[in-house]
Amino acid sequence: MAFEYVPAIVLLPFLSFVIALFAGKYLPKGGALAGIAATAGSLLLSIWAFLTVRSQGAYQETIYTWASGFGEQPWELTFGVLIDPLSAMMLVIVTLIATLVHVFSLGYMNDEGETGLPRYYAGLGLFTASMLGFVVADNLLMAFMFFELVGLCSYLLIGFWFREDGPPSAAKKAFLVTRFGDYFFLIGVVAVFSTFGTAAFVGAESFPVLAEEAVAGDVTVNTFGFDPTTWFTIVGLLVLGGVVGKSAQFPLHTWLPDAMEGPTPVSALIHAATMVAAGVYLVARMYGFYAVSPTALAIIAFIGGFTALFAATMGVVKREIKQVLAYSTISQYGYMMLALGAGGYVAATFHLMTHAFFKALLFLGAGSVIIAMHHNENMWDMGGLKDKMPVTYWTFLAGSLALAGIFPFSGFWSKDEVLYEALIHGLGGSPLLLGAYAMGLLAVPVTAFYTFRMVYLTFHGEPRTDTARNPEPVRWNVKFPLSVLGVLAVVAGLVNMVPVQKVLGLEGIDYLHQWLDQSFDPLTAHHYAEVSPYSSGYIGGEATTVLVGAAVSLGLALAGLLLATYLYNVAEPTEHTAKLGAIKDVLYNNYYQDEFQVWIANRTQSVASVADTFDQGVIDGVVNGVSSVSLFSGSRVRRIQTGVVTNYAALLTLGLTALLLAFGLLGGWFL
Amino acid sequence: MSAVSIVNAAAAAPLQVVLPEWTAIAPVLILALTGLLLLTIDAIWPGRNGNTTFAFVSALGSLAALTVTVWYLVAGTGQVGGSITLFSEAIVVDGMALFFTAIFTSVAALVVVASHDYLAGHENAASYYSLLMFATLGMALMAVSNSLATVFVSLEMASLPSYALVGFLKKNRGSVESSLKYFLIGALSSAVFAFGISLVYAVTGSLLLSEVAAGFDDGVAGFAGVAGIGVLMIAGGFAYKTASVPFHFWAPEAYEGAPAPISAFLSSASKAAGFVVAFRVFSTSFMPLLDATPAIDWALAFAVLAVVTMVLGNFAAATQENVKRMLAYSSIGHAGYALIGLAALTAGGPHNGDVMGAAMAHLLIYGFMNTGAFLFIAMVEYWGVGRTFEDYAGLSTKAPFASLAMAVFMFSLAGLPVFGGFFSKYALFASAVSAGFWWLAAVGAITSALSLYYYSRVVKALWIEQPNGNLDAIDSKPTGLYAAVIFAAVATVLLLPGFPIALETAEAAASALFA
Repeated sequence: MAFEYVPAIVLLPFLSFVIALFAGKYLPKGGALAGIAATAGSLLLSIWAFLTVRSQGAYQETIYTWASGFGEQPWELTFGVLIDPLSAMMLVIVTLIATLVHVFSLGYMNDEGETGLPRYYAGLGLFTASMLGFVVADNLLMAFMFFELVGLCSYLLIGFWFREDGPPSAAKKAFLVTRFGDYFFLIGVVAVFSTFGTAAFVGAESFPVLAEEAVAGDVTVNTFGFDPTTWFTIVGLLVLGGVVGKSAQFPLHTWLPDAMEGPTPVSALIHAATMVAAGVYLVARMYGFYAVSPTALAIIAFIGGFTALFAATMGVVKREIKQVLAYSTISQYGYMMLALGAGGYVAATFHLMTHAFFKALLFLGAGSVIIAMHHNENMWDMGGLKDKMPVTYWTFLAGSLALAGIFPFSGFWSKDEVLYEALIHGLGGSPLLLGAYAMGLLAVPVTAFYTFRMVYLTFHGEPRTDTARNPEPVRWNVKFPLSVLGVLAVVAGLVNMVPVQKVLGLEGIDYLHQWLDQSFDPLTAHHYAEVSPYSSGYIGGEATTVLVGAAVSLGLALAGLLLATYLYNVAEPTEHTAKLGAIKDVLYNNYYQDEFQVWIANRTQSVASVADTFDQGVIDGVVNGVSSVSLFSGSRVRRIQTGVVTNYAALLTLGLTALLLAFGLLGGWFL
Repeated sequence: MSAVSIVNAAAAAPLQVVLPEWTAIAPVLILALTGLLLLTIDAIWPGRNGNTTFAFVSALGSLAALTVTVWYLVAGTGQVGGSITLFSEAIVVDGMALFFTAIFTSVAALVVVASHDYLAGHENAASYYSLLMFATLGMALMAVSNSLATVFVSLEMASLPSYALVGFLKKNRGSVESSLKYFLIGALSSAVFAFGISLVYAVTGSLLLSEVAAGFDDGVAGFAGVAGIGVLMIAGGFAYKTASVPFHFWAPEAYEGAPAPISAFLSSASKAAGFVVAFRVFSTSFMPLLDATPAIDWALAFAVLAVVTMVLGNFAAATQENVKRMLAYSSIGHAGYALIGLAALTAGGPHNGDVMGAAMAHLLIYGFMNTGAFLFIAMVEYWGVGRTFEDYAGLSTKAPFASLAMAVFMFSLAGLPVFGGFFSKYALFASAVSAGFWWLAAVGAITSALSLYYYSRVVKALWIEQPNGNLDAIDSKPTGLYAAVIFAAVATVLLLPGFPIALETAEAAASALFA
């Protein structure tokens, strides 16, 4: 029953997009109410679908075949829905956060008297619809199409304040950088089609299943002369290009901090539930395909671990509250990638979920602070907001504890499982994973440090400016979303208390593991565990490993927290960044990543100019170049067109004669 | 077959109407009667400025012809159970004839509606409309011609009114001059064409297309030179009608000098008429020559013409400053695309029907988008805004809907996806590739890419550039022109979802010729 309404989950926000776009200016609140109604409706339908998956199992249906091939390659390009535990869970997360972001926007946009609200709500609606379409996609091509729509919407929303200098440039950067990754993704989609003849995620003829069978030698697919595993690694890495771009992993992460130029509710949506989550979700969606390629998994794990540490260090010195959160997002998605690469499918999904809640919470909390501070985002101008805005403070604190990974907040459980999976699989004969694990572990204290530095600078101590002394109050529409997410940030970890189960031997409290095992046969968590190339190793016994791992990561997190407390939880905190010496500048300038990219762009001019010449001379030479040639030859043609009719008659006759002679002589007509 | 059977092809005739056989050419007769009716009205009430009446009658006449044609097409006349021949096989009605008659009559209806505003206050409206109807009649006859004699006569029948129409603005030097050039080149081409026919007759002893084919079936040993020159000269005659290189010289001048609705008519309908008769003559009569010894490889000749035409048309279009002239050259380029339909034919080739069908479908879509584009030019001329790209700057601020329609035409002509022109070009190039002529498709694709440059210049001028103060002249909304432009745009867009049906019909009609 519920599954028949799944398309409506996607279409409702799309409807709100249409309404806001065309009728927004006639509606009260600029289309916000339509958006809230639509996303809330989607939320209810998603919950219904979730419960139906629980009772009736997963579901897949092809809705529309929009192109079908003929002849030897009967390809079908389709739109369809795949509702399994993973997508059902993601649907609930996305619709919940979208609804809350809509409500929050009432406070952040409407109450602040922003103009262009219909455009804003139209963008939010389309953004939500695109992400939901991506989540329910049952094949890679459909996923790609919605993936691109998500990218487009982020461009529109990041550049919402297009009359200022920063936002349009940030929007362009986000669009171009993610597009760079998507090029690879697109080639990957084509490669999947040409290899398997299908891009379906599920079914006996789906590409992950075929890949598995091809590696086992049961079927043959067109691997273009490569060994199947090698070829699947190549294809997997091509698709990964899109993931790295969208999920802001090293080295394509540079767009994300700039994307903070967008309205804060949009940042919350981008970071928690939509754009950035899309990349990780895609890997999880086609995990069966990656699982057959140890190399691809190792690369994913390494990118993830490195990004987690790398981004966290940059978050340490930032002055703007949203900048800190931006780097923490990159870092946290690094953890998810680490988990996926380390064979921790459930752990990654788990962290995706908890992160969605606490990061949405932190962004909305930051938005609340920004409202209070009259859109000043510099933390050094804040301080002492704790007493002025208690709801924001307590919820923000809950989110921060979750982000820092402090027991028993949600982030602790998920991050611990991520690190645990990396550890045991590393110990089980994959020493490379231990390196990724070490980076992930090192990022833990750094995360705790920058998180609490942010909390202390914003809320504790003495107010450092007049604005901070008299902050603008926020209304229910800000406090309500914060409260909902605050509760979730605290309790969401309880759905998967694997460490408790392992240590105390309590069976059956790993609900998420059980849940993700309810999918179609090849999409279940334990199937992935069977396919994945890793085996497990332990320090002592399993329970000991759990305890050691948890203790180490918790201890490191507390150490980071305490250092932040020591340095910044004082009445008049000062900048300690000078103590870092030269490193400070490096960190503050993000390891000169942007400069590096510009440097590459400039330094590689010889390469680029070759590429440019190729582009201009060969590619555009067929397009533009031909046109420049053609402008010349066109003017010649113009000269032929003299306007004198006798010339025309002569040329016509000559042309015909030439044709007759050439064909007559070559064809041997006159022999 | 003894009677025209209008039968539902699939079901066993739930509704069967039996009409006399001659009614198969009803569209032709309707057009003839409409032309005569216009003259009669003008003779009975002379001197009265009956622009509206004439336009109304002509529009009704062409729409009636269109309706009957589409009805026949849907009902299967001349398709189910073989083609219908009349007048000792001089006339044939089949799927291809009906398909092209539908193109001619739709374009004629659009042009008539648009001309109403253009001719407001003009003397001699009756002659304009009747000439238009007679030209359409000539084209419809070309579509049903089954003998080289009727081919020649109908071709002249379509041409002569066209010369007069191009020169219709008698006091406009450009109009008169281009008309004369058009006529002179036309006369030369007709001479070449007639000579070609006589040579073919000399070899085969018949003018009926089927008998010509039979004559060639035994080979052309000893007569290869005569037959070859004859065939290529006939090809030259068609190249003139379709405005293909090197018989294209008249086209830019005539299109530029003629009243813009007539340019639309000539570049869409007249070109299609040249193609229908070329398709029929070559596919019916000259196929045996392709594998005769010595071979007369006219397909290769068309391939050469197609490449040269595509390249020259698009290159020349890229350098124009005058929008109408740019469109004139782009229409030459499109003739090159449609020529692929002849160039990619091979003796007994399994893809012949697909290739020619794709070219037919392209001509159908081209009929709407190109007519619409020229009618937009007509609207701009009506306003007196100017003719160059600069003059078009910012028109969208004054005429957003028409400018939107123009953008649709331009992108569709360029072959961008989401417009009808994309699918027709795609089908054309794809069928050429599957027939083994990938290089023709490559040239087509490259020149299409180039065409995007100059088509987008128009869109850029309309939508992006700022008005430069010459738009104050726009004070009226010509209803008829608007209606025609918008209708053409809607048809261009609707032919996107409707394209599979059009392509299927065209391929069925084309395949019937090779059966």
